[in-house]
Amino acid sequence: MNPKQPPSLATWMLEHLVPGERNEALDGDLLEEFHCGRSTVWYWRQALAAIAIGCLREILIHRTALLFAALWSMLAPAWLLIVANIEQHYNLGQRFWQMDWPWSTLCDLGLLLGVNVLFIWIGIVLYLLPDLWVAKSLGLWRIGKGILASLPVLFALWLALIVLSKIFLTGQVVDQHSVAPASTYSIGDVAPIEIQQPSPAEQWDVQYGDKVTDPYINPRNAILDMRTTTLFVRLPFFLCLLCTLWGISSHSQGRRSRIIA
Amino acid sequence: MAERSYFGEFELMILLAVLHLGDEAYGVPISRQLEAHRGREVSVGSVYAALERLEAKALVSSSLGDPTPERGGKAKRYFRVTNEGLRQVHETRRVLTELWRELPQLKGERL
Repeated sequence: MNPKQPPSLATWMLEHLVPGERNEALDGDLLEEFHCGRSTVWYWRQALAAIAIGCLREILIHRTALLFAALWSMLAPAWLLIVANIEQHYNLGQRFWQMDWPWSTLCDLGLLLGVNVLFIWIGIVLYLLPDLWVAKSLGLWRIGKGILASLPVLFALWLALIVLSKIFLTGQVVDQHSVAPASTYSIGDVAPIEIQQPSPAEQWDVQYGDKVTDPYINPRNAILDMRTTTLFVRLPFFLCLLCTLWGISSHSQGRRSRIIA
Repeated sequence: MAERSYFGEFELMILLAVLHLGDEAYGVPISRQLEAHRGREVSVGSVYAALERLEAKALVSSSLGDPTPERGGKAKRYFRVTNEGLRQVHETRRVLTELWRELPQLKGERL
């Protein structure tokens, strides 16, 4: 390597991995110092520090979106559980399968997608509502933009997580207590782990019978459920909300937070 | 006391360095000045992050210079302290000086 040139990988990382607006003055300063005799190690340290500082600054700017996405995605298992109960109550699954193809598949997929997308959309609207109400800075088009932007993000995440779950979770066996909520949460087949399905009668007894024997089956416990499988179910909701809110709030909230910070 | 926004120790050091450097205040000399006085390496990225915070508070302003070959064709970004920044530096100095003066009397310790 030419000693007069800084490490090309570090330069590339500096130019491409520092989030936010590009700071060419910083790139130039590091280059100037390097040419004045600073070491390669120094250049690497500075480049990595600049990336870390840039990431931290972006997180601080979008901390509200981050916190909201984390809190809202905590509710996802409870939402899926409630929807699954409604689905079971009206026996929607069986009704769909009695339809002719492709209506059976379309209705089943429609319900699956609708349930997940609706949860994200409610989150987006709730997040943007205070801004719309107080600051009047966000129009309805902005909410619409967020809602539309969430769709490709969610589908991409689903696809990625289904592939990942196939790779990492296949063959895992869970205990009896995990069966009901895990199977209920995995409405999107996000975590297709090998589980022993209880019979419909058993499910009915547990969920609707007088004696509720499984303490996991209620929305409150679903929210508090911190098992790996449940966290995995929350992940696409969290990432989708975070990406969408991050994108749509980067201009309005970002500017304000930068000033406050 | 006049209304003011508080800044941290690092931001105050940067303001003082910018004041000291005058028209030559850009990333490299500011970082060198801080390193010389603090006695340890300074991340240029953290200097810029602090300067951006100060600029957002209207305590400093910046302007781009001409690109130079030794910097890979990248321009220098010059900083200068605004009148408001200067006022707040003086205010902070006054408060800190008073506090330091009172400290030995309160504690009775050698500083």
